[in-house]
This record gives sequence, structure tokens and C-alpha cells, in this order.
Amino acid sequence: MNRANFIAQLRAGLSGLHQSDINDIIADYESHFADGMAAGRSEDEVAEALGDPARLARELRAEVGFKRWEQQRSAGNFVGVVLALVGLATIDIMFLLPILGVMLAVFFVIALACVGCLIGGAILLGNLIPGGWELMMGNTALQTLTGVGLLSGGIGGGALLLMILDWVARALIQYARLHFRLFKSANDSI
Amino acid sequence: MTESLQIQLKKGVLEMCVLALLSKGDNYAYDIASRMAEAVGMGEGTIYPLMRRMQNDGLVTTYLQESGSGPPRKYYKLTKAGANALKAQISDWLAFEIAVRKILGEVT
Repeated sequence: MNRANFIAQLRAGLSGLHQSDINDIIADYESHFADGMAAGRSEDEVAEALGDPARLARELRAEVGFKRWEQQRSAGNFVGVVLALVGLATIDIMFLLPILGVMLAVFFVIALACVGCLIGGAILLGNLIPGGWELMMGNTALQTLTGVGLLSGGIGGGALLLMILDWVARALIQYARLHFRLFKSANDSI
Repeated sequence: MTESLQIQLKKGVLEMCVLALLSKGDNYAYDIASRMAEAVGMGEGTIYPLMRRMQNDGLVTTYLQESGSGPPRKYYKLTKAGANALKAQISDWLAFEIAVRKILGEVT
């Protein structure tokens, strides 16, 4: 395999990542080729010593995905973590996926409930604004308290949910790192 | 030694070895990779995911330095956390090694 081939396969394995991450990684390997050739090795020798670009891409993807999540906990980056975990796919991950699926569904339902609380609370409080609307509940105090309660419940629940999600993602990341460091590559070269 | 045990052992100490190399002075990935490839038979490409992980974990930082020929080189430097991690890993490793040697001593 020559330099262009290696880089092309690596790039293909990294597709979907942020362009800046891809450029960063490709630059690392390009300079590795440059250093190797300056030391008198051929492109083929360097590519051979580097190893399988597809496997390297999977490990790099995982690292980049984890870093993005640690920097910013967005839904997109969570998907990145899950995709990276799937990319490192091993039998244990296959066991993990159904559990992960159920958990995500539960999270989704709880998140919907939180949004529902927020909307309900906002409507109840909005209804208090003078403007000739009929009160939805018995009296002003009851409606105020219920509205505030719903709002704070929604916010608190949402915050708690995010904390749990972060904890789960970190646990998965730790698991995956141990996993591919100690077991995944046992039958390949390191 | 079975092949898979050997690989797992080596893989487990890769990070410690890289930290140890960097504790002797800042270095760039190509040089670290060729030393590690020669010493423990690591695939050279493995150095990049490893360096990225160590960077994420705050064990190393990078800086660019002009090289004699070609574009500037990315150098890796041990952080304080990296130096501490190295110390901890060395003492773990030595304790483990002594324990294993004791057991093996009873067999051989």
C-alpha cells in the first residue's frame, strides 16, 4: 500500500467527523510518512509499519468522539459517542446495545415529560396575566403554585436527566477504552 | 508465552512506556513510534490514537517547533499530571512484577 492509498483509506474511515479533526489526524500521518521517507524508508514500508488504516480510523474516531462529548454535551456529540462505540464493535458491545436502546427510550420519555411540565406550567402562569381570561383552576394562589411547581419540576427533572446521561456516557467511555485497549486487539498486532 | 497474553501485556504498558520516554525530554510522534516499534513491536500507527487519548486525559500537551527541513513539527511534552501518572504506574508495575516473580519463582 502506498502513501496515497493509506491516507485515502484513513480518510474514508474518518468521514463524518468534524473537518478540523480529520485535517488534524491526516496531518499527523502525512508528517509520519514525510519523516519515514526522510529516514530512507519507502512509502510501502512506512504504510506497512503503520498498520491497518481502517482499524486506526476506528480507534481515532472513538478518541475524537469522546473528546467532543467531554467538551460539549450535545445530542449530536452523544450520537458520536454511541457511533464510536458501535465502531469498536465487539461481542460485548452487542450485548450492551439493547440495554443502551432501552435506556435511550426511557430517557426520551422522561425528557418529553419534562417538556410537558414546562409547557403546562407556562400555560398556567400565562393564564394569570390579567386580560379577561377565565382562571383554569380554583383560585389564583392554587394556580400560581401549581404553575411554579410544574416549571421547577420540569427544569429540575431535565437537569437531573442530563447529569445521569453524562454519567452513563462517561461510564461507557471508560468501558470502551478498557475494552479496546485490553481485549479488542488481542488477536491483532498492537 | 501465548501470543495473546504477550500482546495484552505490551498493550497495557504502552502508555507507561510513552510517558517514560517523554520524561527524558520532549519528542515527536515519529521518533516515539519508531522506538516503541523497535522495543515492543508496536504498530507505528497506534501511537496516534494513544497520543490523542493521553492528550485528552491531560497527560501530555503539544507544541509546534520549526524543523530543519519541511513544515514545523508537533512535539509532545509531559504535563505535571503526566509525570504523576508515570510515577503511579511505575510503582504499580514494580509491585506487580515482584509479586509475579515470587509466584513464578515457586514454580521454576
